[in-house]
Amino acid sequence: MVSLTIDGKSVQVEAGTTILDAAAKVGITIPTLCWLEKVSPTGACRVCAVEVEGVDRTMTACNTPVKEGINVTTQSPNLAEIRRKVMELMLVNHPLDCPVCDAGGECDLQNSCYNLSVNRQEYSALLERRQIRYDWPLIESDPNRCILCEKCVKVDHEVVGCDAIAIVNRGEATIIDTVDGKPLNCEFCGNCVGACPTGTLISKPFKFRGRPWSFTRVQSVCAFCGTGCQIEYHVRNGIVERVTSEDHTYNNGNLCINGRFGYSYLNSPERLTAPMLRVGGGSLAPTDWDTAFAHTATKLKEIVGRDGAAAVAGLGSPRVSNEESFLFAKLMRQGIGTGNIDSEAGLGFAQAQAQLQHRFGFTGASKNLHDIENAEAIIVFGTDLNAEATNAEYRVIKAATKNDAKLILVNMRDVKLRKFANSHLKYTPGTELQVTYGLMKALIEVGNLDPDPTVKADLAALSLAELATASGLTEELLLDTARLITGKSRVTILFGSDVMRASDAKNKVAALADLALLTGSATEQGGGIFPIDAKNNSVGLVDMGVTPADNGKDFWGIIQGIEQGSIKALYLMGCDPTTFPENGRIRKALAKLELLIVQDIFKSDLLELAHVVLPAAAPAEKSGTFTSGDNRVQSFDKASNPPGQAKADAAILSELLIRIAAGPASSIDPVKEIPVAVPGYAAAGNGLTKKVAVKAGAAYAPIAKPAAGARPKFQMLVGPIGFHNGTSTTRSENNLTVSASGYVELHPTDATALGITEGANVRVSAGGGSITAAAKVSQKVQPGLLFVPSHFRSLNANALLQGNCNLVEVKVEKG
Amino acid sequence: MAEVVFSSWGRNIIDNRKGGEAKPASFKLPVTYDGERPLSAFIGWDGLIVYNKDVDVPAMVAEYMKRVQTQYVCGRCTPGKKGTRVMMDALLAIVEGRGTEALLDTLTDLSGLLQNCKCTLCPSSAVPVLDAVTHYRDAFINYIRGAKSLSREYAYIDKYTAPCMDKCPAHIDIPRYIEAVKNYRYDDSLDAIRDSMPLPAVCGRVCPHPCETACRRTNVDEPINIMVLKRSASDYEWQHGMLPPMEPKPKKNKKVAVVGAGPAGLAAAYYLALEGYPVTIYEALPIGGGMVAVGIPPYRMPRHILQRDIDIIAALGVEIIYNTRVGKDISMAELKEKFDAVFLAPGAHRSKPMGVEGEDKGYKGFLTGGIDFLRNVYLGLPSGMGKKVFVVGGGNTAIDCVRVALREGAEESVLVYRRSRKEMPADVWEVDGADAEGVRFEFQVLPTRVVANEKNEVTGVELIRMQMGEPDASGRRRPEPVPGSEFIIECDTIIPAIGQDADLSFIPADFNIDTTKWSTIVTKYVPLKGADGKDLKDGMGNPLSRTLITDCDGVFAGGDAEIGPLTVVACVGSGHRAAKVIARYLEGKGVDLTDDERMEDILSYFGVYDKNEKVSWLDGTHRAHQAEIHGKERASKGNYCEVELGFANSQAVREAERCLRCYRVAMVAV
Repeated sequence: MVSLTIDGKSVQVEAGTTILDAAAKVGITIPTLCWLEKVSPTGACRVCAVEVEGVDRTMTACNTPVKEGINVTTQSPNLAEIRRKVMELMLVNHPLDCPVCDAGGECDLQNSCYNLSVNRQEYSALLERRQIRYDWPLIESDPNRCILCEKCVKVDHEVVGCDAIAIVNRGEATIIDTVDGKPLNCEFCGNCVGACPTGTLISKPFKFRGRPWSFTRVQSVCAFCGTGCQIEYHVRNGIVERVTSEDHTYNNGNLCINGRFGYSYLNSPERLTAPMLRVGGGSLAPTDWDTAFAHTATKLKEIVGRDGAAAVAGLGSPRVSNEESFLFAKLMRQGIGTGNIDSEAGLGFAQAQAQLQHRFGFTGASKNLHDIENAEAIIVFGTDLNAEATNAEYRVIKAATKNDAKLILVNMRDVKLRKFANSHLKYTPGTELQVTYGLMKALIEVGNLDPDPTVKADLAALSLAELATASGLTEELLLDTARLITGKSRVTILFGSDVMRASDAKNKVAALADLALLTGSATEQGGGIFPIDAKNNSVGLVDMGVTPADNGKDFWGIIQGIEQGSIKALYLMGCDPTTFPENGRIRKALAKLELLIVQDIFKSDLLELAHVVLPAAAPAEKSGTFTSGDNRVQSFDKASNPPGQAKADAAILSELLIRIAAGPASSIDPVKEIPVAVPGYAAAGNGLTKKVAVKAGAAYAPIAKPAAGARPKFQMLVGPIGFHNGTSTTRSENNLTVSASGYVELHPTDATALGITEGANVRVSAGGGSITAAAKVSQKVQPGLLFVPSHFRSLNANALLQGNCNLVEVKVEKG
Repeated sequence: MAEVVFSSWGRNIIDNRKGGEAKPASFKLPVTYDGERPLSAFIGWDGLIVYNKDVDVPAMVAEYMKRVQTQYVCGRCTPGKKGTRVMMDALLAIVEGRGTEALLDTLTDLSGLLQNCKCTLCPSSAVPVLDAVTHYRDAFINYIRGAKSLSREYAYIDKYTAPCMDKCPAHIDIPRYIEAVKNYRYDDSLDAIRDSMPLPAVCGRVCPHPCETACRRTNVDEPINIMVLKRSASDYEWQHGMLPPMEPKPKKNKKVAVVGAGPAGLAAAYYLALEGYPVTIYEALPIGGGMVAVGIPPYRMPRHILQRDIDIIAALGVEIIYNTRVGKDISMAELKEKFDAVFLAPGAHRSKPMGVEGEDKGYKGFLTGGIDFLRNVYLGLPSGMGKKVFVVGGGNTAIDCVRVALREGAEESVLVYRRSRKEMPADVWEVDGADAEGVRFEFQVLPTRVVANEKNEVTGVELIRMQMGEPDASGRRRPEPVPGSEFIIECDTIIPAIGQDADLSFIPADFNIDTTKWSTIVTKYVPLKGADGKDLKDGMGNPLSRTLITDCDGVFAGGDAEIGPLTVVACVGSGHRAAKVIARYLEGKGVDLTDDERMEDILSYFGVYDKNEKVSWLDGTHRAHQAEIHGKERASKGNYCEVELGFANSQAVREAERCLRCYRVAMVAV
């Protein structure tokens, strides 16, 4: 500890602490402007200048570490004058367009000038105006307003790891611009806009939508991916006009494109606004809620009465709240009495959760996201975190760049984390099992580990050289990778859809769990194991029981049941199976239903098949709780109004429960019921909490035999990209501005062989179906592997997939 | 002798404008800028030096501030970015006849405010402005009152530098690469390094880092660990499997041959290849790297990492032909015939004799020299070493020999040096490293005779104790033998490691290339003279400002064979300059040094670092040291594992944060 005196107060802090932090500890606020806690100190504005006894010049508090025995003065006439003059210099040639500046009213420069009594201007220089960048999508840059605090550049580099913007030029001409001077082409997370203290970088969709103080700010939880970012909706006249996040939030104010700009789906003209019924063979016609409820309840009861409860099935949604998932499960299992309940999580995530729960005793992750920052080594296996859990990616970047964690990327593509990785195991598609066993073998060899003798013997029977060859890697690479992990006590494992939606996913998840045992990741002291899913409440959905009952059918069982005629009614709550794998088959099946209930927020192809359409409210339009992927249960309140007559899913489900189960309304209170009915959940204030207990002494699974077989010439991987989340954001004008349609990413080797050039059409076919899209020629994939984004309904890449697997053998030709 | 009209340099005011007896002042500056044009004024971080009374000081200062602001100010802090702009506009307004006296007060005020800047560039550039406003106030007032300048126009030449950057023989932009590490941008850092140093992994490990002796942080607490930060940037790229970003310009049709794939040859090839010139290197050894590969032990410079730096250069299109000795396997005449330019960088690989009785008898166990011993070991050839090894010398090669001897299985490894430990020319950390590994030292002794048995095998060496004699004419005390103090140490191997020079026998006489008595190649130079009329020399006694052009048209020379045996970094600097000169030669743009190169040489003579400067900054931080493998096991037989482990990245960033970024701009009027 170091002792020092600040303004006469003595303070003890750890060595390496800055004067600014030391002062804060004793309640002394030193003015700052360019300082931003979440990035490295910049020392650009010089406003935090302080005097240190014995040092002839001022020192900046934000980036000067304390020294034993120093005597610091933070307020003096000399300092006041320096700060005032520095601010005057900052204002030299600063535009006076505050009345029309988007930052007006929330501008740190305005506040600093006011606080430091900068009420005159002694300095002047010739005026040179810099070009305003109107040509960037989503973000506008006015360099004339820039005070060069570097916050945007540092957030872009240190937090996001995107490196789209930089400080360019020299002298007074120094500005923030894109690295190449071309229009901004980045991830469009907008964290630079969030960090900008002035009106230099502003959100284009928000520009002139209103003065900052005219909005109601409602704290909420982002409803896109599973990282559960804390956000604020800025609402006026019941409409969300922007989303922000403050630096003191769990996510340090960092969002992704979906979190910051995806809100525009709320205002999409494709929102459902009124209940609709199709009676007889006619067309869908709007109706009132009472008629819709009555018809739905009657029809469901009629089918149950005639064919039994097993003739009814329900598919839920990882988008809705815990309470709503709970009510949906209750409606299906208790109200109707069917065990045929599943959701899109049934394509892989739910099964992986069940396995991990069986092995380690928990759903979700064993640690919280912030623990990733303290990892000594991180294995990111089969997931593009940028697309599936951006804020988890930010944590990984921080661990790797600032906290010396070794990063191992196991991915068949060069995803964004590639540039931070100490090792990239770019394995042959489909060989996740061989890679996992290869890593385990290498770890045992390098680290001289002694796991369970059976596993050790089983692994000893496998050849590292063969595993390496099979997975397209080298023995040396696997051993070098193991050296990065060995000896580390906090090894974090994150894994995603390339494992959970692989063929033979069960064995692959089991093997990964074994790897976690070997690295100690899935223990209380370990670095944590994080299953990643791209939807906001997948863990909550699994916890609330929106999974097949023991006697019920899973997703593919339900489809089969419909095809065979045993299932007559299907309740889709926020689920659109026409965007799932094999959706040609699924569409045909749905057409056979006697009753198709579509409860959703958007119009879709389902409307052609639906008998009942129930318009639902989006997360911003209701209250409830979500369980993040790392088991943080966060509550949120209604921020904006649902369009037309749309209602919260909870309200719809409650009403149907009352009408079907004929119970009193008071018997339906998920907030009270969940802590009783759902293991791990407890009441906390008006919301819920979840506690994870990691089971000790988990056993290894038997070593599985990797499936052998010839490698197909071409395989297509269908998965998420960073610009979208699910299909919701394909209804967000903002997201579509930067990512309007799908594409087929293929390796230059393949492109050359097929005579396909960048932007030309590629036709990809499988199982009788085909899709055509523009080619994106890229080294990021590998020869024989194509990647197509999953989000776009019009491209419908999912149609070519078979079953749960996200990888499919395809034929590729010029389109 | 040039007389100083006015100087404020070093805060010491000398004003000879009023006549009377001139106060003497002398600075380490040449009287001419380029051997012809007189140096009329020098302006920079520590004031003004005016040699010619006709120099228009307000105009010069206005130009200086304009250059500082528009070309060099980084814009990374408010007073620097805005303050220098206000000052520049004020100065321009004055010399353009738009000024007021109030502007002089603004200049004074801002000169003070700039002391609160983030780095040194802007505050240091305000120093000569304030000096001018203070001491040439009348000249400014004349302008303000409407007078026009009567003095003739001078040409102004500026140079952006920093003490460390100046001291580095390769003139790497050190503050830039450190700043990039501080900002977690290792790629940018490496870009900055590669602008002047194509062997970053090597010089991040084995550089004697003269830069650190000119680190201004020393004036506050301890110097920045500049070398290991370079290694951090270089290791980052390697450890993240990244491909270097350099792309050569389109291929040109004039070709260059380079003799020697050592640091100088590789550096020249790298920069020529980037310019698009096809380069072929002829290397006598089977491996590249020159003295780095056959002189520096792998525990200091792992070979796969050296090879990575070489591979990167080769990937730019440089062809390296190994096992080909110029003068034997291919003649100089042939090179001259086939290529448009030839760069000679053969290095200094010939051991010097020790001068003791018996050394020429061909005894078994008496090795020809340290450098030959090391080369044989590294190339896997028989080294001739026995069990008790005796190395003579005090330089880094001697240290390498004793440490390598241990790793080759010597039971005893002894180093003898005729002076004391602290006088050893070897780097201190190398001597300490040898000590830690169990090397025995014998100081202040001189070998006098090789002792051998009847089978002509070395059995020992006779030594005599030395003591310091009386100071000689130069004031230096030389060691002298103590009569009758002879004694014998038993050993079976003697390795003289007392120096090496270049073998220049491959250069045919008819090329008319002049060489020195120290076996170095003579190259052309700018005839710079000091105020005392003497030629200006570099630290090795060579002319200060050299073009690296030999007496033979189209033949250039650099590296140890031109400078004299020195360091990797000096050879890289030499190779870099050679590449620039050769490119200009091939483009027909003349072979004169550029203004930037001239200023580089002038400033390195002048000295940018002032060890007596009082640097106001809060002290108390400590220089970071890289992790190291300790214990004698690191030197066990066959263990060539790297001993020094570099920084953890977070440690590198903390160390980089200590950098004061001591940029400054010098400008001359000629």
